[in-house]
Parts: sequence; C-alpha cells; structure tokens
Amino acid sequence: MLNILIIGNGQCGNRILDAINRDAFGTKSRFAKYLSHQKYKSNVQTIAINTAVNDLKEMNFTKAKDRIHTPHLHGVGANRNVGKHVFEDNKTLIMKNIQERGNFDVAFVITSASGGTGSSFTPMLIKELKQKCNYPIYAIVVLPFREEGTLYLQNAAFCLKDMRDSGVDGIILADNQFLKQMGGNVESAYNGINDMIARRLLFLLDALDSEMMMVTDLGDFKTVMSGGAGVATIGFYEADSEMPIRSVIKKALSPEGLLFSTDAYQEASRSMIIIRGDRKYMSIDEVSSEVEQLSSSVGQVFKGIIVRNDELPQVLTVLTLESAVELEKLYAIAVEAINYERQKKERVDSMKEMDKAFSQIDGMDPSY
Amino acid sequence: MKHFGKTLTLISLAVLLLLISAGSASGKILFNDTIAEGDGYQINNYVIDVAEVFPDYDSVTLHVYEGASKTPKYDKMISVDGSYKFAIEGEDVEVTVISVHSGIVPRTKLLITVTDGSFINSKTLGVVSGGHTEAEFSGTPVLEITKTVDMDRIGAGDVVTVQVSVKNTGDDEATKVIFSDPTPAKFVLQQTLISPTGQISLDKGETRLIYTYTLKATESGTFVLSPTTAIYSNSIGDDFPQASSNTPVITVEDSSKKANLDITLAVDEYTVDRKDDLQGTIRIKNTGESSASAVTVNLIVPTGMEYSDGDSGIEIISGVPTIYMESFGIQQEKEISFSLKAMDEGTYTLSTQNSYRFSDGVDPTPQIASSTSVTNAIYVKKGKYDHLLEQPVYIYLIPLIVIGVIAGLLFHRHRQYKF
Repeated sequence: MLNILIIGNGQCGNRILDAINRDAFGTKSRFAKYLSHQKYKSNVQTIAINTAVNDLKEMNFTKAKDRIHTPHLHGVGANRNVGKHVFEDNKTLIMKNIQERGNFDVAFVITSASGGTGSSFTPMLIKELKQKCNYPIYAIVVLPFREEGTLYLQNAAFCLKDMRDSGVDGIILADNQFLKQMGGNVESAYNGINDMIARRLLFLLDALDSEMMMVTDLGDFKTVMSGGAGVATIGFYEADSEMPIRSVIKKALSPEGLLFSTDAYQEASRSMIIIRGDRKYMSIDEVSSEVEQLSSSVGQVFKGIIVRNDELPQVLTVLTLESAVELEKLYAIAVEAINYERQKKERVDSMKEMDKAFSQIDGMDPSY
Repeated sequence: MKHFGKTLTLISLAVLLLLISAGSASGKILFNDTIAEGDGYQINNYVIDVAEVFPDYDSVTLHVYEGASKTPKYDKMISVDGSYKFAIEGEDVEVTVISVHSGIVPRTKLLITVTDGSFINSKTLGVVSGGHTEAEFSGTPVLEITKTVDMDRIGAGDVVTVQVSVKNTGDDEATKVIFSDPTPAKFVLQQTLISPTGQISLDKGETRLIYTYTLKATESGTFVLSPTTAIYSNSIGDDFPQASSNTPVITVEDSSKKANLDITLAVDEYTVDRKDDLQGTIRIKNTGESSASAVTVNLIVPTGMEYSDGDSGIEIISGVPTIYMESFGIQQEKEISFSLKAMDEGTYTLSTQNSYRFSDGVDPTPQIASSTSVTNAIYVKKGKYDHLLEQPVYIYLIPLIVIGVIAGLLFHRHRQYKF
C-alpha cells in the first residue's frame, strides 16, 4: 500500500482537494461524509492550506484537522510577494503538520498558478519538502483563464518559473482556458474543472495501488514524469456506453480528454496509459495498435491494464511534454501582462506628483 | 304356717290404721279455736257468723253471709260434734262444732277446714270481731284512661294540648294509682299544666283529669302517641294489671322552610383515552324555601384519575378539591367547572360529598343536610400510544441505542469536518 500525500494550496487547490475527498466517498451526496468512508486504496493523507479562512470553511469533505489556516487577513490578494512572506511566517507550522504525518511514497501539491496563496506558497513549500523529505513531489498546477486579468497571468508566469526552480519532480498542467470548452456558467465550469482533475488523480492513485493484468507502478510513473521538459498533463476518458477500447484511448489522448491543450503525438516525451474495465473490452490488438501508434511518436509508453468486471472501459493517460505551444503562448501573454502592470505602476507613481499640488493647502481651512 | 299367719295379721292391721286415718281427714284446717258469740270468721267475701251459742243444748247457730249482704246465705244450728259443709268459690268448706262454753259471752270451739285453700286471700281471712257487719270485703277497681288531643292535624312547630283523664268504673276504690305518660318522639314538651303528684286514689265511679300539657311538633309525619298507663291496687292493697289509655294519632304537616340544594355532577365524556383530559361540571341550585349556609362540596376523585384544574371557586383542602360557599340564596344557581386527567385504565365514578346548613324556622338550631352526587361510570381506555409502553424494554432500548450510536457517529463526523 502506497503512502500518498496530497496538499491543496490556496482556494483552487483547496477546492480540488475537497473534490478529491468527496469523490473518494464513491458518491457525490453531501451526506456521504456522515454515512460512508473514503475508499482510498492507498494510505492517503490530505492537507489544505490557505490564508483565507473562508475558503477553508467552504470545504465540506476534508477533515478539520487536515485544514491549515495561515492567518493573513482574508487572503493575500493575489500578491505573491505577500504570500511568500506569509509562508515564511508559517513555514514551521506547515512543515510540522506535514512531517507529523510520517513519511510518504509520493506527494502531489495542487494549486492554481494565478492566485495569491497557492501560487506563492506552492513553490516554497515544495522547496522545503524537497529539502527535508526524500519522496517525489509532483505539482498539479491549474492555469488561469486568459481573460482573468494581468495580475493572474503575471502570477502564473512567475509561479511556474518558481515551481521549476523549487526542485519539483514534475508539473502536471491543467488549463482553465482549455477546459472552458466544457461550457456552462462560471460556477459549474469551475466545479467541472475541479471534478475532472479530482477524478483523474483518483484514477491514477487507484491504478498505482491496484493489481494489474499489465503492470504500471509508481516507478513507471516517476520515469514518465522525469521525461520531457518537466511539465505533463493527464488525459482521461470513460465510455458511457459500450465502445471499442481503441476509441476510448483515442478520446483520452484527444483535447476532449486532456487537461491541457497539447498534441500528444507531437509534443509528448513519455507516456503512460492505464486502461480499466471489463475483460471483454480489453482487445489486445486494439490496445497494442493504439500503444504502438503513440510509442512510434513518443518513444516510451508504459501501459497498465486493470480488469474490473462489468465496468465500461476507462483510460487514463499521463503525458510528459517536450514542448508546449500553449505554454509558450501563455508566457507571451504573461509578458504583455507584466509590462502592462509595470507601466501602470509607473503611471501611478507619476500620479504621486499630483499629491504635491494637493499638499499646498495642507493645514488651511476654507473661509466663507 | 303359724309364722305366715302372724305376718298377715300385722299387714292387715297396718292397712286398717291407714284407712282410719284417711277417713278422718277432710282438708286444710283453717281454724281450730274458740270464737265468741257475735263474732265471725271471714273467708274471702264470706263471713261465718257465730249467731248464737247454746251451752245448755250443746249447739250453735251459724249464719253464713256473702259479702255485705244483710241476709245470711246459710243459717244452720249445729250440735257439738256436728258439722256443716258449703262451697266457696268451688271449694268445700266444712265447719265442725267441737264444743260450746258458757260464760258472759258464750263461746264455741270450731274446726273449719277447706279442701283447697289456695283461693283464699290471706287479707280477708280470720276472726272478725262483731261479725259480718264489721268485715271488710275486697272489690275490683277498673280504671278507664282517656287521652285526648285538641287537634289531630297540625303543622310542624305547632303546639297541641294533650289531656289525660281517668275514671274508676270498678266496684272498689283504686289505691296507689301511679300514672306513666311518656313524651312522644318528634315532639317537645312545651308546658305542663296538670300532672299527678305521686300516688293517688280513685273512688269507685270517680273521674279525674290527670294530665294537661302541651307538645310542640318538631317534624312532619303521622305519629301515634304512646298510651298513658296506670298501675293501681284495690282497697285492700291487691295489685291489678296495668291500665292503658287510648293512643291518639296526630298528623304533623310539614310547615318548615327548608333549603334544598340540588347538586349535580356531570362530565363531558364518559369514555376517554388514558392521559386525556376530562371536563367536569358541578351545578348547584337551591330549590328550597330557605337559604343555605356553609355549603361544602368535596369532589372525590378516584384513584386512577387526577384533578388538573378548576374554576377559582375550587380550593384544594387536604388534597381534596373543595367548593365552599358561605351562603347560598333561594333559587340561586351556580356552575363550577373543573378538569381531570385520566391516568390509569379502568372504570371510575366521580362523586361529591355535599353538606350545608339552613334554618327551617321551626327549630332554633340550624339544620344540617348532606347528600352525595355520583356520575355514571367513566370508562378510561388505553391511550393512543399506550401499546408502545406494553412492549418489552429491549424494543425501546435497541432503537434508542442504535439512534444514539448513529447520532454519536454523526456528531463525531460533524466535529471531524467542522472547521
């Protein structure tokens, strides 16, 4: 049994973590926490960290002892510099809480790249963990909608950079901009994205601790994640009716199944495919055909097959990327955002000259 | 053989002596003594006068008088050793002249016997100096006692005058007459105008008013006055049976004014579930002609029911719901409500113990009246949820434990997730 640590930082990380804990009950009922137990195969410890207490209070399926509040008003206001200071102030508390939970085989840190707390805490936390622990740590980073604003884009750019510098073992990208293809209102879109990430991670955790017909394990996952440019994404598809396994694999590798916009066959460096479902769907020819097609482009494809009676086929793919066009686009926009913010700051500074004009009447009162 | 003849001779001699002694006995000897000429010997109402003694002729003339008759009933000259026999009240009296003696007053010795002397009054037995003219004879007084009332139909509280008179219709004086006249029940002796003082005597034929008194009737009804009785004796002190008067009947009509409280008790339901409430009403109405006072109504609540609440007129005194009213006027009505709770299954009756006082205008002391009011049977049946209480303990315990465990678990979970 694997010992797995999942940390959710900031509002986005908290919500995805809560969705994972909710889905672990096997039902989406709000009363599941009263009536059921989480069905993790592994020993999974979850921790939510936030500066905003309201975000922690909104969590319904994460135990109170697993929520760490690092007090700073009600959040850091998307200011990563403030966030870094807050983390420094609370680092001891956070690390103590994590280390008290023992040693782990692998850790996942979930965060938004664009927010305040998550984007500032996560790189520093990973850096601390890497210094004090010897288990692999993977960051699941949610990229912002491009129209969310310059501060968020700026944060995302610097967060990803800090993340890479933190010594993280891999960054799994999920892109809100890419996932907004799901449609719906803002709330349902956010909830949908959170659910998608939660479901993929739970599938991955389940697979890593399952007996397989064809085995992929944590070691294979590490190998996959160590390939490429250090960033990865996850694809997933669950058939809602009987369909060939080939089609399911294709959909898992298509934009419909991926969390980040990429061409798996062009940009992937290493890959892992985990197939789960009833034996009758596991056509070796079809599986081999698809794997061969992917490996011919990617190189190494680890495949695992989990047989579950009476289950429709489901496929999870983990792709590490050599290059990411979409990421480059993001950084291009981010650079524009950084420049825009800088210019704005300069304008604000010039506005202070106007303050001198106002200062001329300091201490004077009007006469009527 | 010679010896047998001697014995037979002795037995024959003894029998002969026995027969001789039997032949000479003529009954009980009343007198065996001398008696002077002109004197007599009285046996009850008969006097045997020694009219004349003839010593020279050894004979005596005897006159037998009956009562005060001046003419002798028997007139006999009897020689010494001669006798004369006659009957008194069915018994034979035999007078035998034993001897005669001369003197200033000649005397004769008589032997008087009677076959059975039990009928003889000792007070009229013996020598009468002077003969029958000096004898005292006994008579039979008869007392007729008459009791009368001036009114035989009166109202309660009215006064009636009673007179008792007596008449001696016998042939002798009544002596040592003692009257007894008990005061009748339901009457009060108001005034005694005439009453006998001690023993009295009544000559024959005498009539006398013995009692005159007044009685006050205290209660309605028909009453028979007890007879006035008298015990008495005759002139020689013989006692006679008690004489009784007639027994007048007096009808006393109810003229008193009474208070009459009609106290009724009712409940709104006579079949209720256990634990249900029951509304009760006590209605009091004075239908009498006098006001009542100190009206007390005690509500007797049976075990199995519980007094819950009531109007302000009900006070709990020593655990008993009690209504007390100082006065209650004529034709006044009052209704007092209360509520009970049926606690146990069963059949119950609710009752009140009522008492009050009133003045009837006749008796100076207040009258006390009491009564009881009872409801019909009230059936208390099982409550709606009573069947739940009849289940074994585990029926309640297990669900409670399960609910407790679930609640504990839910609370624990809630605390686990409460931030």
